[in-house]
Amino acid sequence: MDVDPRQYENIGVNENDIHQIVLSYLVHNCFKDTVESFVACTGLKQPVDHLEDMEKRKRIYDFALDGNSSKAIELTEQFAPGLLESNKDLHFDLLSLHFVELVCSRKIDEALGFAQSNFTLFGKEQKYVEKLEDFMALLAYEEPEKSPMFHLLSSEHRQNVADSLNRAILAHAKLPSYSAVERLIQQTTVVKQCLSQEFGKV
Amino acid sequence: MGGVEDDEPPSKRVKVSSGESGSVPNGKSSTEQGSCSLSNPMARLLASGGDDEVVGSKGIIKKVELVRIIAEALYSLGYEKTGKRLEEESGIPLHSAVVCLFMQRILDGQWDESVATLHEIELGDENIIKLASFVILEQKFFELLDGEKVMDALKTLRTEIAPLRINDDRVRELSYLIVSPSQSLLDGTSGRESKAKSRRSLLEQLQKLLPPAVIIPENRLVLLVEQALDLQIDACRLHNSSVGEMSLLSDHQCGMDQIPSQTLQILREHSDEVWFLEFSHNGKYLASSSGDCLVIVWEIDGQVSVKHRLSGHQKPVSYISWSPDDDQLLTCGVEETVRRWDITSGECLHIYEKTNLGLISCVWAPNGKTIFTGVTDKSITMWDLEGNEVESFGGQRTIRIADLGISTDGRELITVCKENKILLFGWETRSEKFIEEDQTIISFALSEDRKFLLVSLFNEVLHLWNIEGSPKMVAKYKGHKRSRFVVRSCFGGLEQAFIASGSEDSQVYIWHRLSGELILTLTGHSGAVNCVSWNPTNPHMLASASDDRTIHIWGLNRVNMSYNERHGNGVHHANGGT
Repeated sequence: MDVDPRQYENIGVNENDIHQIVLSYLVHNCFKDTVESFVACTGLKQPVDHLEDMEKRKRIYDFALDGNSSKAIELTEQFAPGLLESNKDLHFDLLSLHFVELVCSRKIDEALGFAQSNFTLFGKEQKYVEKLEDFMALLAYEEPEKSPMFHLLSSEHRQNVADSLNRAILAHAKLPSYSAVERLIQQTTVVKQCLSQEFGKV
Repeated sequence: MGGVEDDEPPSKRVKVSSGESGSVPNGKSSTEQGSCSLSNPMARLLASGGDDEVVGSKGIIKKVELVRIIAEALYSLGYEKTGKRLEEESGIPLHSAVVCLFMQRILDGQWDESVATLHEIELGDENIIKLASFVILEQKFFELLDGEKVMDALKTLRTEIAPLRINDDRVRELSYLIVSPSQSLLDGTSGRESKAKSRRSLLEQLQKLLPPAVIIPENRLVLLVEQALDLQIDACRLHNSSVGEMSLLSDHQCGMDQIPSQTLQILREHSDEVWFLEFSHNGKYLASSSGDCLVIVWEIDGQVSVKHRLSGHQKPVSYISWSPDDDQLLTCGVEETVRRWDITSGECLHIYEKTNLGLISCVWAPNGKTIFTGVTDKSITMWDLEGNEVESFGGQRTIRIADLGISTDGRELITVCKENKILLFGWETRSEKFIEEDQTIISFALSEDRKFLLVSLFNEVLHLWNIEGSPKMVAKYKGHKRSRFVVRSCFGGLEQAFIASGSEDSQVYIWHRLSGELILTLTGHSGAVNCVSWNPTNPHMLASASDDRTIHIWGLNRVNMSYNERHGNGVHHANGGT
């Protein structure tokens, strides 16, 4: 028997599932206080350290978002050792955030030194070379905000890096790296698109 | 170059000021005396009245330019004193004072000063100034990096190069080099010698960037003379030998003595009219066919002698095709069969035939693995060597003309599909291109590079078509006689610079391909000349086949030949004329 997508109202929904979905969203985004009260209200079981871990993760995320990537790296090494070694792309992104910080505060000598000590290893792999060229180009301009690479200085870029870091830490801790509600929205969107195409054909 | 041995023309060109010693020693050091001693001549220039003076009968050569390139030539040859004297006497400096200064500063590596001087040269175009500054500062950047002055290099990049805002991509590359310095060492700027060298090539780069009047290109005069010589060779209508020496003292013009014009040998083996002949690709063999149904393979080794007599055909062979490696031969009997022969043994290796149909033409594919034949039902068949029909292309593909050609990549067949139309048939894709003529087509021949098609037409004219891309007619040749029979023509001579054709008046006609000029007619036959073939590896050998049952082998006129041998090792002298 084919299930008709339009008859979705007939599907039963488990309340516990809903709680889990809400919780996963809150945990993913480190809403520590809200998590605390939600868990208290719903009686959901959580591991002992979950609040503490969330706190730590939040701090890391905030540092990254600010552009203070050296602090973010330090704490990540503490909290999730080995994470950055196994996640070279992420490591590169974080290092380059720090580099960008230095360039923006016009600490050119330091930036150059930092680049020379940290990036030469990455430079050996072709896929990083192009990215490196982008970042190094920032060194050439006295006003990097006006250079062709200005997008590397944007808060959007930092947001992306912070998000990736967050996901990586969650994955490292064997937690889902995407919140359930994110996935649900993605799936619903696709289904809606498919359906409108199907009915468009009729 | 004559005179003082040197590798550095630019440094020679920069004249030493009158107060210092005249000649510059070996120019290898990069710190040379600069400055130009041109104050007196400069004054004279102002008085000499102008850049408008012309020389030469055509009035197109500017005197100032001519003198400048002569001066450059003198310096390049090492004749410094003379160069300087010329500048003084003519009042025309090779380079203005400010340009001299500029060039010297480049060679000395005084980058900031040279950029400053650059601005002093009246260039007019802001963009050029920026481009030139960019390459100068780039050199500064590289030399700093090379000397491990990384911070200075970075500073140059930030404060001098990047603000020019041209070529951001290059700026990107340069920034990267700061972090991975090993790259720049590969650019080869290390060491004193290579530093001088890269500065000189910077100068060359600048010379090309700046308007040509600013810095005279090196060896300009020599280049112009070479151009003139090239044109002379192109214009030489009888040019048929590799040129040994060219002289500047008179125009290059070959004499008639380089065109085959004398019968060296008459081959009388055939017992009937000789219809077709063709040299092998390597020029070592000649294959001929006759009304006597025989095909003879001749060997060429100084003299021409019979190698094989290939019998088997019951009809006269109208067309012969050599395999790409010259080891085998295809012969096509008129509306009969095609036979494949081995050249070494003379054996017939295979007979290609079609039941109830006759084959009319044949050609090898360039890969030597397949052959194509035209059929009496107007189709074309593709065969493998063993005799299996691989494919058949039906429809109006060919009429009863024995010529079949194929492109170099083997993808396009060339065939006469209608009385006045040639089809260029891409047999894999079934694509079709046409050449339409205004009269009946008799035969055609392909050039060696297969880019040109020579079409022989009913009304005693040959049309040359360029068949690369869409076909265009590029030349016509006439003079020969044809009214009743098939008369064939061919390309030949050095770089296929000539066209030859048989003729019903018993003569061989030879034209210069580019100009269309008829340059020679060869007499000797006593019957219509049906076919000609020019030896692909010996531009001095031509063969002709005639109704008089003979084949004539034509070569150079011996009398004149020995004159040349006496006067120059058999190498043709360019002071041409007899």
